[in-house]
Amino acid sequence: MSTADKVKINKLPTGVPGLDEILGGGLPEFSFNIIAGAPGSGKTTLAHQIVFANATPERPALYFTILGEPAIKMLRYQQQYTFFDQAKLNNAVRFINLSQVVLEKDLDAVLEEITKEVEKTSPGVVVVDSFRTVVRKAQGGTTEVELQSFIQRLALLLTSWQATTFLVGEYVDGEIRDNPVFTVSDGLLWLYQAAERSSIVRKLQIVKLRGQASVPGLHTFRITHDGLQAFSRTLGLAGLARKMPSTRRLSIGIPELDKMLGGGIPEGDSVLVAGASGTGKSVLATQFIAEGIRQGDPGIVVVFEERPQEYAERASSFGLDLKTPRKEKKLEILYLRPLDLSVDETMHEILAAVQKIGAKRLVIDSLAGFEMALAPGFRADFRESLYRMITALTGVGVTILSTVEVNESFTEFPFSTYSISFLTDDIIRLRYVSIDGQLRKIMIVIKMRGGNHSNDIREYEITSKGVVIIGERLTDFQRLISGIPEHFNRSGNNQERSHKPRGKTKS
Amino acid sequence: MSIPESRHLAQRLLTYEAVADENSEPTGSAAFRVCAKLRRPLITLAGVAGFRSLLSRALTLARAQAPSLSAVQIAADGSLKGLDELASQIDEKQARDGGAILIAQLIGLLLTFIGEGLTLRLVQDVWPEAAFNGRVSEKEGKA
Repeated sequence: MSTADKVKINKLPTGVPGLDEILGGGLPEFSFNIIAGAPGSGKTTLAHQIVFANATPERPALYFTILGEPAIKMLRYQQQYTFFDQAKLNNAVRFINLSQVVLEKDLDAVLEEITKEVEKTSPGVVVVDSFRTVVRKAQGGTTEVELQSFIQRLALLLTSWQATTFLVGEYVDGEIRDNPVFTVSDGLLWLYQAAERSSIVRKLQIVKLRGQASVPGLHTFRITHDGLQAFSRTLGLAGLARKMPSTRRLSIGIPELDKMLGGGIPEGDSVLVAGASGTGKSVLATQFIAEGIRQGDPGIVVVFEERPQEYAERASSFGLDLKTPRKEKKLEILYLRPLDLSVDETMHEILAAVQKIGAKRLVIDSLAGFEMALAPGFRADFRESLYRMITALTGVGVTILSTVEVNESFTEFPFSTYSISFLTDDIIRLRYVSIDGQLRKIMIVIKMRGGNHSNDIREYEITSKGVVIIGERLTDFQRLISGIPEHFNRSGNNQERSHKPRGKTKS
Repeated sequence: MSIPESRHLAQRLLTYEAVADENSEPTGSAAFRVCAKLRRPLITLAGVAGFRSLLSRALTLARAQAPSLSAVQIAADGSLKGLDELASQIDEKQARDGGAILIAQLIGLLLTFIGEGLTLRLVQDVWPEAAFNGRVSEKEGKA
């Protein structure tokens, strides 16, 4: 059968940002679906969002309520969401209470009542909330075969009448087996809510969806006054076309460091700047972004520990103007509040900013702050999600510089406490060294995936101009990277001697 | 919408019902008809039990202001019993006022639970030919 011969399944929007992408484009039209989850997981809100996104006076939505949340209260609460359009009520969206029929009559009567309403209004969307109640009532005096027959007839009726159906129910994981409703359904959306330490983590899964490929796995979602917002595990990046590798080198804004990097950072690389507190990681990152702006590359700075205004002020103290590009929308400083953020949600925000201004450079300052901003339950996914974001963004040519604080040790030389070195192309290490009774700073390019780089260990200072490299490679010392170097005399006589900085000192 | 406004809306519904019927019955019947007309969409929305609960609460609140309503009962299907008979038992104005208070309390409860927008929409659906646009009642009340 050729593609042209196949039936085209239209896809309905869910009205939930991010969910259509997870579903593989939207909800299959005329499908018979289950929205399952524990109480409080967001099932009714999701159903309402779908209803309001699709209902029209010509193809209204019928919302059957059954012994669950009283309809009056449901309307009271649901109208608080921005998607709730009062103008659609009783016009495009009709609520019908079937509690009495369910309580007093049998399944045939329930089906008869639904049939009557469906034939009268020809709905585009039908919701039964809660269907679990119907099943529970039925199980009292009904055989499993009768229940299956009822579900089968209900599915046939609603599909024949060209309605896309959602049965909302409180189910737990174990019930998925041997339950006829799951067998008959075309789609099964499962909502989870779990407390992890002091945070609530919400996730959804498309357990089953006939006819189209959904994104597998658990996706985080949030419920705000706008309703549900879902964050795909693919971060919406699955369809992005990869850019051809670039040969362009980006200046970091520090000429000597550019030379150490073999001419700058290769465009589309992920760079890690690692060092202890106070070694100048953030200053270096700011120089990188400011240099980009100067060269016409829009940039994004993601900060977690200070507000954008403070960040811009601090840049000013190094002679770097970030205020003007912010006004001109060439630079965005994102301050992600240290709340219970999900990692995908955070990355979604970063990606939206990148796409909005067409950013070419991205600074994440710092990975430690990023991780701390996440709800504890999401920290386990941090590296995986970071990897996905970095891979996707660098693939389309965005150059990313991340800072990471490492515990300064005088016996070890760690690059990162996060074991994320594997996802960076280039690593610049800053560290303290003890020389002549002074705590000084050295810089080394550890790794460059894209080519040769200098192996020199260079001393630097942080001055009013930012990070400034102050000398040629340090040839008079051994064991510099230990942090406690020894003077080295090439003639063989190791001896203590005075060593003064060769550049100007910090004022 | 405040309590006086809900009373004003109730009064408008009662007047509308009274005028709509050429053989205008006593106001007590108008209240009965308003209640009966609201009953249908509210039962569709909230079920018989849901509507009975609302009406029962409205009746209790109304009885505090109009003790004569103590003779009024709510049937199992949510319909009112004894409202029509009220006019023959007490002063006609008292009966009219009692009916108005009951409808005002019912509308007041709807306003409390689902808000002005949805309540007016529901009223508009029952009396499509009448104009109940948002705070018109308030403006009219002040005029």
